[in-house]
Amino acid sequence: MRNTARVLRYAFASAMADLRATYTWKSWGLAWLLRMLFQVTLFAFIGKLIGDPRVVEYLVIGNSVFITADVVMLVCASTSWERMSGTLPLLVASPAAPFTVFTGRSAQWLLDGLACSTISLLVLPPFLGVQLPLGTRLAVVPLIAVIAVSVYFFGLVLGGLALRAMAARNLIGRVGSIGLMLLTGVQVPVSFWPTPLESLAQLLPLTHGLGAVRAALGNGSASDVLRGIALEVVVGVGWALVAAFTYWRLTASGRRDGTIEFGG
Amino acid sequence: MIGLFLAAMRFQAQVVRREPDYLMSLVTIPLLTVAFLAIMGNAGRADLAPYAVVGAALMTIWATALFVSGELIDADRWEGTLEGVLAAPAPYQVAYLGRIATVTVISFLGLVESALIAWLVFGVTFPVPHAGLLVLTLACTAFSMVGTASIMAPLFVLARSARIFQNSLSYPFYLLGGTVVPVVLLPEWLRPVSKAIFLSWASDLLRDCLRAEEPVAAPARLGVIVGLGVLGFGIGHLLTRAVFKRVRENGSVGFA
Repeated sequence: MRNTARVLRYAFASAMADLRATYTWKSWGLAWLLRMLFQVTLFAFIGKLIGDPRVVEYLVIGNSVFITADVVMLVCASTSWERMSGTLPLLVASPAAPFTVFTGRSAQWLLDGLACSTISLLVLPPFLGVQLPLGTRLAVVPLIAVIAVSVYFFGLVLGGLALRAMAARNLIGRVGSIGLMLLTGVQVPVSFWPTPLESLAQLLPLTHGLGAVRAALGNGSASDVLRGIALEVVVGVGWALVAAFTYWRLTASGRRDGTIEFGG
Repeated sequence: MIGLFLAAMRFQAQVVRREPDYLMSLVTIPLLTVAFLAIMGNAGRADLAPYAVVGAALMTIWATALFVSGELIDADRWEGTLEGVLAAPAPYQVAYLGRIATVTVISFLGLVESALIAWLVFGVTFPVPHAGLLVLTLACTAFSMVGTASIMAPLFVLARSARIFQNSLSYPFYLLGGTVVPVVLLPEWLRPVSKAIFLSWASDLLRDCLRAEEPVAAPARLGVIVGLGVLGFGIGHLLTRAVFKRVRENGSVGFA
């Protein structure tokens, strides 16, 4: 257990080193964050085009929370960097479980995504004519953190697939992210979709957590919020188990058929 | 010169065929048509469908320019072929314009995809009352996109973190370019910025082509689109020359 924690800590240190190599404070704030705020604003303006303030509010909340998921889904790409940099065989050969390493290795996106969403929720609503009390907006940040972790494990599963199909690694992450945007209640309620897709949405991360955020920001009861976030945790644990299995299979089948070595 | 331009176009077509990742924007962004139409349909505003289709198409065209045309020079630098390009007697700017032209032409598939997605997923179709003007507007948009992309390619060579800037120039331009939402809905202080972006003129005119009423001042608006494209070519030319002069002088042609 202590060893697992140590491996996680080192993997997280590597993730933070990646983050520092990718951004400076200036490039993060003036380029990346700004781009994320424009993403939320674009969708909010679709609400203004429609001409219904309730739609604007729905879209501001949905898209502010979604940008966490959008950033966290970069886990798919950063997981596949291990194969590109040739370190996957070393990870497989080491006594630590690859799943543990990969769990910590892309955690920088959790912080990045959470920061983007928090700033979006704090800054944008007043500019977009959406009335949400500041205290409530701050109160939902922990809920968004839970969503981020739940989406992270979903992204890790897709990252495991990307390790097997390197040519499609970016595509897998983007399609996964857009799929979440479409189905989980970000732009329209899940009930908008046909029943099979609505059922699928119940198994995806973000659906229940976003419901909890909407309940907290709207007139939902405390039990609605708790129920939504509890379901989000359950879905997240489910995806964590699938992710653990995915990496176990990747290692086992890779050892058997020799595809660990830069096998793409 | 024309032979070089066409050869560069053919070369880029082969590169794109062998690197499917270049076409990612063509696969992912038209999917946003579903999101836009769902929002509009859920709010009972199916009449806004042309905004969704035109918007997703223009976003695809812009994104492809950013992520493919934008990194042409940098990719040559990474692959070690930029030295050869600069040393060759052929004018490199013509070669790059040919390659950007291919990428731009391919990106217009986004319009077909968006229209197909709207039809297949939501059964949405709409008439094109001004088809001739639509084709002309698309041609002018393509011209302007090539001109604007010719600024991006040298710019990203200068940027320390080109990938961050690429990612960051997507949504701000989708919004300021009026791709989905007309510029007239933006705050007044932002509109002058939008007017300097050819996308805003192109998106407005494309949407007008889908309305029954005769588009107002179409020739002048086409002129602005082309004019902004010419400006793009001019800036792109000067910037490329300056960037190549700089990398030659500091010995970093093959160093990225």
